[in-house]
Amino acid sequence: MSEADMAIIKPEMMMKSYIWLETTDGSIQQVEQEIAMYCPMICHEVLQKGLGAGSSKNCAISLPQRVNPAMLSLILDYCRFHQVPGRSNKERKVHDEKFIRMDTKRLCELASAADSLQLKPLVDLSSRALARIIEGKTPEEIREIFHLPDDLTEEEKLEPLKNLMDDPRIRLLNRLYAKKRKELKEREKLKGKEVEERVDERSVDDLLSFINGKDHKVVKTSKSKKKNRKRKEHKNKVSHNLHSKQQGVQIVDETASSLGGVSNLPSMEEDIFSLKTDSEDGYVDDGMDPVLKEMLDREVEDFARRLNSSWVLSSGQERQPVHFSINGNGATRRLTAFQVMLGSLILLMVFGWQVPEFCGVTRKVIMHSPSSPHWWISTVKGNSRVRISGLTGTEGGDEWFDLFNIILDEASGLPKFDNVPANREELVRDDSTQAAERAYNRVERALTSSILSFLTLVAPMY
Amino acid sequence: MGESPDLISDLPQSILENILTRLSLRDAIRTSVLSTKWRYKWSTLTDLMFDEKCVAPSTDRAVVETNLVRFITGVLLLHQGPIHKFHLSTSFLQCRPDIDQWLLFLSRNGIKELVLELGEGEFRVPSCLFSCLKLTRLELCHCEFDPPKSFNGFSSLKSLNLHQILVSPEAIESLISGCPLLEFLSLSYFDSLVLSISAPNLMYLYLDGEFKDIFLENTPKLVAISVSMYMHEDVADFEQSSDYNLVKFLGGVPLLEKLVGYIYFTKYLSIGDDPGRLPITYIHLKTIELYQVSFEDANEVLVLLRLVTHSPNLKELKVSASPIQLFPLEEESFDLFERDYLDYKLPRLETVRMTDVSGIRNELEFIRFLMGTSPVLEAVVVTSSLSDKDARMEMVVELLRFPRVSPRAQLLFLQD
Repeated sequence: MSEADMAIIKPEMMMKSYIWLETTDGSIQQVEQEIAMYCPMICHEVLQKGLGAGSSKNCAISLPQRVNPAMLSLILDYCRFHQVPGRSNKERKVHDEKFIRMDTKRLCELASAADSLQLKPLVDLSSRALARIIEGKTPEEIREIFHLPDDLTEEEKLEPLKNLMDDPRIRLLNRLYAKKRKELKEREKLKGKEVEERVDERSVDDLLSFINGKDHKVVKTSKSKKKNRKRKEHKNKVSHNLHSKQQGVQIVDETASSLGGVSNLPSMEEDIFSLKTDSEDGYVDDGMDPVLKEMLDREVEDFARRLNSSWVLSSGQERQPVHFSINGNGATRRLTAFQVMLGSLILLMVFGWQVPEFCGVTRKVIMHSPSSPHWWISTVKGNSRVRISGLTGTEGGDEWFDLFNIILDEASGLPKFDNVPANREELVRDDSTQAAERAYNRVERALTSSILSFLTLVAPMY
Repeated sequence: MGESPDLISDLPQSILENILTRLSLRDAIRTSVLSTKWRYKWSTLTDLMFDEKCVAPSTDRAVVETNLVRFITGVLLLHQGPIHKFHLSTSFLQCRPDIDQWLLFLSRNGIKELVLELGEGEFRVPSCLFSCLKLTRLELCHCEFDPPKSFNGFSSLKSLNLHQILVSPEAIESLISGCPLLEFLSLSYFDSLVLSISAPNLMYLYLDGEFKDIFLENTPKLVAISVSMYMHEDVADFEQSSDYNLVKFLGGVPLLEKLVGYIYFTKYLSIGDDPGRLPITYIHLKTIELYQVSFEDANEVLVLLRLVTHSPNLKELKVSASPIQLFPLEEESFDLFERDYLDYKLPRLETVRMTDVSGIRNELEFIRFLMGTSPVLEAVVVTSSLSDKDARMEMVVELLRFPRVSPRAQLLFLQD
């Protein structure tokens, strides 16, 4: 308060004048005037309504709703300290630091109450404290501290920067996902297993297990099921990074768990996607070697983590186990042979591809899939980047998924190619990124056109 | 999952923005994954500060660059509402077309404060920048600045900071005169600039570079000046006009409170014909810091004296002497101290700091002058650059002889 104010108030201080304040719960308390006047809102009230306001119990100044009695006493303590003019800045700072040490709930209430009383220094102080609480923490920790509901779909979490709100496909995906989740929960209850932490992977499994079925068996089997895909082909072309990526992971996940399992997904009558009908419950034991299975599980986890962390814009050093759950529905729906290829591609990557000296080596591998021209995987500086390219974007161009920090273990055995065209560039060990990039670009262009042609080829098959 | 209610999401937007602005931009954007309510809370922030800490660190520059570009583009696209502050300080980005697009976007969203500190490389500022008429602060570093002919200046600009900018002198002059509200001007890393500054509201001036000639034409409100003036070897360039540079430069700044000069500033001021007295008295001048004053040059000492004696409220004086030349100039002027300023008083001077003193006559006389005219002097701190112990001792002895007007004056002699 300025000295002029103090001068004016001084004679009143002699009489120790009080102001009556009433909180929303009806309780009325008496507060020394100079302390209460430190709050701009109370000050305005008094000045506006004349000095009669607040001078007695009957015409107490009613405080805004967000100021409950506990907060009021806190705020008055704050005001009591700060309205004394003779304190040094250092003293005030020390007091503030001590003052602000309280649990988060009260901190939030304090910020809210101070804001409604227009006490800006206190608002800034509590905001600063809240910011300090938030900074550097992972989303889970923040949610736990503030009791925030974890109600974003996994897809939204993966791609927070995309505005998915208006996309009808996403709504569909969300619904499917929720449904699947419920089913899985029930199933798990029956099996009596701990479900919570596995539910997402499971749903991934179960939603995409049919891919595996196709992986193992002849690809044509799956394709034959999509006869009514002709019209949808165009929409299928619209690929999302999301889907394809999820695709990739799901497929890997798939391979990890249930090769050969067949799942039953409810078929979607909706226009845009037709579900892969045969999705079902995921975790069918397919008799895979457990060691291999574990390795693949780890692979998937890693992959998923990288995926998640990169899309949540978190720093590279973040290795929090962000729970990776994919909205498997989306992927299933968009499953085309082309995605099957991706599946087999990843499969090959993991299983049958020997990758020695991963670091600093740029490799290009053409994966050829039975009915498509080319697939590329290029790894640049093995410890940091994998580009899976060749999926179509909305215009039929390329979509790029930069997956950071993907670590692929060495697999055993050589890659299996079939029907590799004569003019392929195979396993180019290229230590210079530039050369790799150049060649890569070349193929990329070829790939664009070839993918388009592939899709047009594929379409009539259904 | 308990029944606890959400603590924070329902706080008023002003508080949430207050909190989000205190986080780094990365952390603020990461709140979008917390819950549905938080998804777009960050998108109305009006202050965006980008640097390379926004993306994951990596040893590969190109990776960081691409990520940063993608990050900034993403943020700008998802942002809603006006953007008032945009700071980009990173050496990873040099010259990219993306920056042009960002500036175009900003120019359409009411940008008020723009700070662009890029890496080395001549990024040419796009023309859309000159249509950001709401700009109040502009800071450019390592850019090429070429305003179009129709550009009339930023009518709201208050702070202009140009560092290592490629620009023509006429453009700068017209820019400065086209910003009537300009209060803070900083020009650094320029070469051979001949500048005439006309800014009626200018309060803080910071110049650093090789200026051939500076003329403060219309700067009545200047409060603080700091000039680091480098010079060509060829000093003859300077001695063209007969106007006393001291008058030319400091003649029109009556409200000056702080004057700081480095390198050849004092030399620059000393050029020209000395008319005797200065036209104005600097009533508000409280701090004078002149570094690298060559005490062998009588003209420079005269400049120093004039400034000191025309500042009745001077409180703090810091002078550093430049090292003596191999061929010292004539030291004929030490009686000028006694000649003109016999009864002079510096009524408020409290601290004097002289560094790199070599013990030549002029320096010592100057200190004697100060000690004899400052009734409230508290400390005279002298640091010497002499390596010879005997010479130092001599100097100290000499200094101790000087009479002191102030009873509290202390002569502190510090080892360098």
